[in-house]
Amino acid sequence: MTNPTRVIRALALGIAILAGSYVSGAPVRFLADDPLAREPDTQDASGVSEWEIDLTIDLATNLFSNPGDSARDVRAKNVNTIDEVPDSSWFTNRILVRPIALEELTRGPLTSEGPAPGSWTVVSPKLAGFSPGFTMLDARGVRWFVSFDAAGHPEAATGAIAVANKIFWALGYWQVENHLVTVNATQLVVGDTAVFTPESGRKRPMETRDLDAILQRAHRSADGTYRAIAARAVEGRPIGGFRYYGTRPDDPNDVVPHEHRRELRALKVFGAWTNLVDMKAGNTLDTVVTDGGKSVVRHYLQDVGSTFGTGANGPREYDEGWELLYDGSLLWKRFVTLNFFIAPWQTVDYTELPSIGRFEGDRFDPPSWQPRVSTAALRHARGDDTFWAARRVAAFTDDMIRAVVRTGRYSDPAAETLLADVLIKRRQKIAAAYLTAINPLVDFSLANDGRLSFKNAAVDAGVATAPASGYRVEWSVFDNTTGDARAIAPAAISPQTAVAAPGLLPESPGAFVRVRVTAVEPDAAAWRTPADAYFKRNSNGWQLVGLEKGTP
Amino acid sequence: MHKHRVVRVPLLIAFLVMSVPVMVSAQETRAGTIAEEQARKAKALAPRDPPFAEKLVLAAHKMILLQPAGVYPYFDSVYSGGGFTLGAGYRHFTGDRTHWNVAGLYSISSYKLIDAGVASRGHRSGRLDLHASVGWRDATQVSYHGLGIDSPAEGAAFRMQQTYGGGDVTLRAKRWLLLTAGAAYEGYTIKDPTGDLISVESTFSPEAAPGVGVNPSYVHTTIAAAVDSRPGADYARRGSLLQVTRHHYADRDDTYTFSRLDAEAVQHIPILRENWVISLRGRMESTLGDDDQVPYFLLPSLGSGSTLRGYSSWRFRDRHAVLASGEFRWIVNRLALDMAVFVDTGMVAPRLDAITTSAFVTDYGLGLRFHGPARTPLRVEIASGREGTRLVFAASAAF
Repeated sequence: MTNPTRVIRALALGIAILAGSYVSGAPVRFLADDPLAREPDTQDASGVSEWEIDLTIDLATNLFSNPGDSARDVRAKNVNTIDEVPDSSWFTNRILVRPIALEELTRGPLTSEGPAPGSWTVVSPKLAGFSPGFTMLDARGVRWFVSFDAAGHPEAATGAIAVANKIFWALGYWQVENHLVTVNATQLVVGDTAVFTPESGRKRPMETRDLDAILQRAHRSADGTYRAIAARAVEGRPIGGFRYYGTRPDDPNDVVPHEHRRELRALKVFGAWTNLVDMKAGNTLDTVVTDGGKSVVRHYLQDVGSTFGTGANGPREYDEGWELLYDGSLLWKRFVTLNFFIAPWQTVDYTELPSIGRFEGDRFDPPSWQPRVSTAALRHARGDDTFWAARRVAAFTDDMIRAVVRTGRYSDPAAETLLADVLIKRRQKIAAAYLTAINPLVDFSLANDGRLSFKNAAVDAGVATAPASGYRVEWSVFDNTTGDARAIAPAAISPQTAVAAPGLLPESPGAFVRVRVTAVEPDAAAWRTPADAYFKRNSNGWQLVGLEKGTP
Repeated sequence: MHKHRVVRVPLLIAFLVMSVPVMVSAQETRAGTIAEEQARKAKALAPRDPPFAEKLVLAAHKMILLQPAGVYPYFDSVYSGGGFTLGAGYRHFTGDRTHWNVAGLYSISSYKLIDAGVASRGHRSGRLDLHASVGWRDATQVSYHGLGIDSPAEGAAFRMQQTYGGGDVTLRAKRWLLLTAGAAYEGYTIKDPTGDLISVESTFSPEAAPGVGVNPSYVHTTIAAAVDSRPGADYARRGSLLQVTRHHYADRDDTYTFSRLDAEAVQHIPILRENWVISLRGRMESTLGDDDQVPYFLLPSLGSGSTLRGYSSWRFRDRHAVLASGEFRWIVNRLALDMAVFVDTGMVAPRLDAITTSAFVTDYGLGLRFHGPARTPLRVEIASGREGTRLVFAASAAF
């Protein structure tokens, strides 16, 4: 007779072994929650302390060394299994993943109507950047950071901030709430606690003459008012900016090195589109906020005003957007050739309008674009990162671009037209450069009836023609544990981006199929690299759980 | 006992069955994997500890550039020809833009300078600057080659000790218009040079070295006007300068009282968006009164890293001096580095009508300039004239 105790023991042992095998066994390709929709912040970050990233150190580090991971061609580490960036404390998927109405786009990150009218109490002068400004409390006691156009350069800095703010919000970044406002000097009073730091470095109470000196550097309109940007103080406790490499050592949730974050690598493309030349830690901001009952760090791309063709004090230098501040190979070339080496920026023909500056799209070459100082994230950007970014740029329609440019409230219609036209030209060049550089097949879906559909992002953006002979489609059953794929049927050619599955697909929940799609006789060689779409059968039908493409 | 065992085993099974989903959810979800990584990091949190080099750079940056008050390193020239100089200063603010300052310099040729002053800038809406200082300078081996453009290369030297005290006021009437006026007491004591150098007094007659043997004291008044459209006086790739300065040296016993007019014109011509810059300068120093007696050590002069760069400091002296310089600059790096080929030419003469281009001496050279947006902290040039080739190190722009 079998001892029941022994049976129970054996059963227990079996379960334990089974559990152990789950824990320590071979990893499966796709996990239960793939594709991850949101990157979690699971730890309390209330202990993160404020730091100041010195501008000189930051610039020197990025100009003269290669901080971050020394390995190149590393896939972004915060992308999910369908090659997308989950929402996070860094990024929120907006354009491309959902429709954005013009009204929503032109409002962008704005959650209010701006500073309450009435008396504004100045509490300190502006400490960072070149443009004149101050911090003030509006009539309701809300804190705002006010910055003006520099004297002689009306609408330039404020227009750029207003427009870029909405663009970068739509692209998915945390943005400060920037309002275009009109300031009357008579509504300003210097607060009792306002502190001013003069040239001596010795802090003292701020006086009216200090405010006058700030306004003297600002552009005064004909009616005596000043156009300005009022940026609402962001939620949470500011703790300084973030670097474009490594992680913040005291933030427990910051585990992906920043050079391997796709949304930061993508600034290679977004920066090129908008000419965001001033990409430095000082233009970013981290704050500790309460989210889901715990403290987490939120990461802002705080200052995106260094865009388009103007800086805080007038038009950009001619080489900005074309060359790094320091490029060793160029330096030597110039050193020995007496500069008879002519760079493209030296012969670019600009339509220079005072409020737009030097911004053009005819000679613009996206891969050649450079900020003043590169970042580790930009240096690590690969073809899949720039493709991901270019899709978002391409998702801006002409109407969206013209609408967002109108939020700059340029008084010269020619300026508004010029900025929009250039952004449209640059958008097309970005799409042409990056959507064609890797296999552009996206948005795979598999209907319950076995009909596969996908899109060709390059063709849809109008920057490429469909492959002459269509697409080669191979269907396989996929084993999620071993990674093996077993062909269901011989490969078939489809002239369309929709094709029916050959015969019956597995119907048991948890089953996987892989569909390999390759362009046949494409114009671009990179398209011959196959795209593998993985679908998982669940109770509702087929779910796309994986998308893999080689990067040439 | 057996009964207990039977009870324990189902409990074990229940525990295992319940724990499997927990273990699976932690290990078998992407979110769980990330959470584990974050939990691991949470156990080893630490604020960032900057590397030593970064701390060092930050400290230097703070002391040299950011710290408005306190001790600071000081790099300047004591007097032309003094060679490489090191120094330090101490600055103390008494107002927003008013400070007093004490600084000292010591050069490789034992030239010395001690200066104490007060500066108050930015009055009248930032248009008016005031400055006053007292100091003592000791230039131990100042060369003198005699008068005229044909003076011999072999010369003599003197030691000049200067005590000074005075003040000036600068008004920026327009963004591009500067007016300056100043007055100072200057007392000179001339001695034999240090080292083995031959003294001026033992070599030159009073005709060849006017005022030799005298130690005059002056009230030196200055008035200047400048139209300046350059972005920065110490580094520019565009813009121009037109400046006229009138000096009056009133000798206390009136023997060596004289007046001098200095004029300078600079034009920077950028080519192809500042890819190249042609920089031109003309300069004249002219003693105004034909009968004025000018001590040899205060005569207009040529020769130095900022005039005739292929010639030693104070190489040519006389009552009038003219200089023309031209540079072809190529901007190797917009942020920090220019190169230039240059030519300087000029002459000194006892009378203005004696100045003739056929007598000009000329040098040619190649230069390397490390610069910032408005300053040239290091200029290294090699210049060649008829007396050989010279290497120039300077902490300012040539012009």
